[in-house]
Amino acid sequence: MSAFRKLILATLLISAGAPSAAQIEDSERLKSSALEALISAPPERALPIVSKVLSGDSSPSLKKRALFVLGQIDLPEAQTLLVETARTGDGSLRLEAIRMIGIGGHPEAMAELAGIYADGDGETREAVLQAYLIADDNNAVYQLAASTQDPEEFERAVNTLGAMGATDELRALRDRPGMAEVLINAYAVAGDMETLAAMANDSSDPQRQAQAIRGLAIAAGEGDDVGEILVGIYRDTDVPRVRKAVREALLIADHDEAVLQLFRASDDAAEKRELLQTLVMMDSDAVWDLIDSTLENGQ
Amino acid sequence: MNDDLLTLYYYKDGLTEAELREVQSALEKDPSLSARYERLCDDLAQFDAQDAVAVAADVTARWHDSIDRAARIERQREQPAGRLLHIPSFAWGTVVAAALAIGIGLGFYLSGQRQAEHVIDPGMVVDLTPEMRSPSIAFARGLQVHLQESRHDLAALPVDAREERAMLITHMIQQNRLFERAAEQNDASDLARVLRAFEPILMRLAMNELPPGDAEALQAQLAFELNVMLTKLERSASENTGPI
Repeated sequence: MSAFRKLILATLLISAGAPSAAQIEDSERLKSSALEALISAPPERALPIVSKVLSGDSSPSLKKRALFVLGQIDLPEAQTLLVETARTGDGSLRLEAIRMIGIGGHPEAMAELAGIYADGDGETREAVLQAYLIADDNNAVYQLAASTQDPEEFERAVNTLGAMGATDELRALRDRPGMAEVLINAYAVAGDMETLAAMANDSSDPQRQAQAIRGLAIAAGEGDDVGEILVGIYRDTDVPRVRKAVREALLIADHDEAVLQLFRASDDAAEKRELLQTLVMMDSDAVWDLIDSTLENGQ
Repeated sequence: MNDDLLTLYYYKDGLTEAELREVQSALEKDPSLSARYERLCDDLAQFDAQDAVAVAADVTARWHDSIDRAARIERQREQPAGRLLHIPSFAWGTVVAAALAIGIGLGFYLSGQRQAEHVIDPGMVVDLTPEMRSPSIAFARGLQVHLQESRHDLAALPVDAREERAMLITHMIQQNRLFERAAEQNDASDLARVLRAFEPILMRLAMNELPPGDAEALQAQLAFELNVMLTKLERSASENTGPI
């Protein structure tokens, strides 16, 4: 079907009101197909039709679809309408418009998001963060995290940076007081092994060290050999909390060889029990030989 | 046996002799697999507007160089998003290989078409040399296949079998991330943003506690967005014009 014929069909279908309750579902489907066809129409023709759907009495789901098409229209007027909907639209439509601004990634519309965030409620702020994530705008999220004094808001922004893999921005936030746990989680999600290893080796704050050790294990991929780092930390400390974190990390990273190494090196019965327990939880093949030799030799 | 492996088999690229034999044997023994392979062949053949041409040795060498380069880049890149789901490296490698196979295979056939165009219209040579156009066109075609498969997978999502549903959605997310990265590498940040925007919807669809009505609405919205993007890509491919 030519673009022109699709446009005529779209105009007819979208202009027509739902004639009866029984036909609402069919009418919705047809209108949705018509909206879909609009993507092939020239932008200056598609825009007024989409605008009409948005300002009319169509269902919220149809309006959301119209917003997606609107976001794909490469005209400044389309972006203006998106921003307007993001500011003043009804409920979920407003949030959808924010998402579409992220998809569009147009600098002028993106710049409006900061104001929408500042004036918005929790849901709106969440939607803006997601739009930044979609647009891959690390700096905008970093600015929000760096400027807020609200711990929850900081956490949301940092989590977003983690999902974006924004390691530079996360490292710049490392010294934020009282937010170590949040940051460690984000480093783990972002896969920042370097920062996590540095924090896991830093014994100045055992609680933070233990969190970083677990984060290191969570972030480790198959190619990352964290076993050696974790064994080193275990040997360098006698803080029970840190040692427990290492055992848990080795379990998470599935490094039974490293646990076995620690078991063999230990001459403390209580410690051996804990390491053996870890091996049992890991369902390690080596554990049966160990149990056998422990029962025989008491070692 | 997944579609990625069958795709590699279709293009006879990226599989060892033993693996090729294994797939062939499985196809001979399993009628349902054979039927699935037939459907996949039909899909992939849509892009083979012309008959396959024998591949010159230097072209093959260039493909393999491209694969090696892409694999090196992939290894060097940090993959934070992938870590979230702990994607097994084998599966990841298979997906990358499949995508490369699709992209390269399609790139080859299309570059063959372009060579024919050069004969007909010498004016095209100036700005549409195979080297300049091949990656982006191959990517666009590969993305079309991805969007079509996503649409199909979305429609086939089971409602009650939660584990199966979650597994299928996880697979869709993996594929989507792959093409999102490929979009970035092909300087198609507009497409990368659209693909990134699909992921939160897929994530929500994977949540067990999502009410059925909400899940249905989300699925319908995503299906619509996939359709729009497919129409847009098909239009761009046929008319080579900008976005609306």
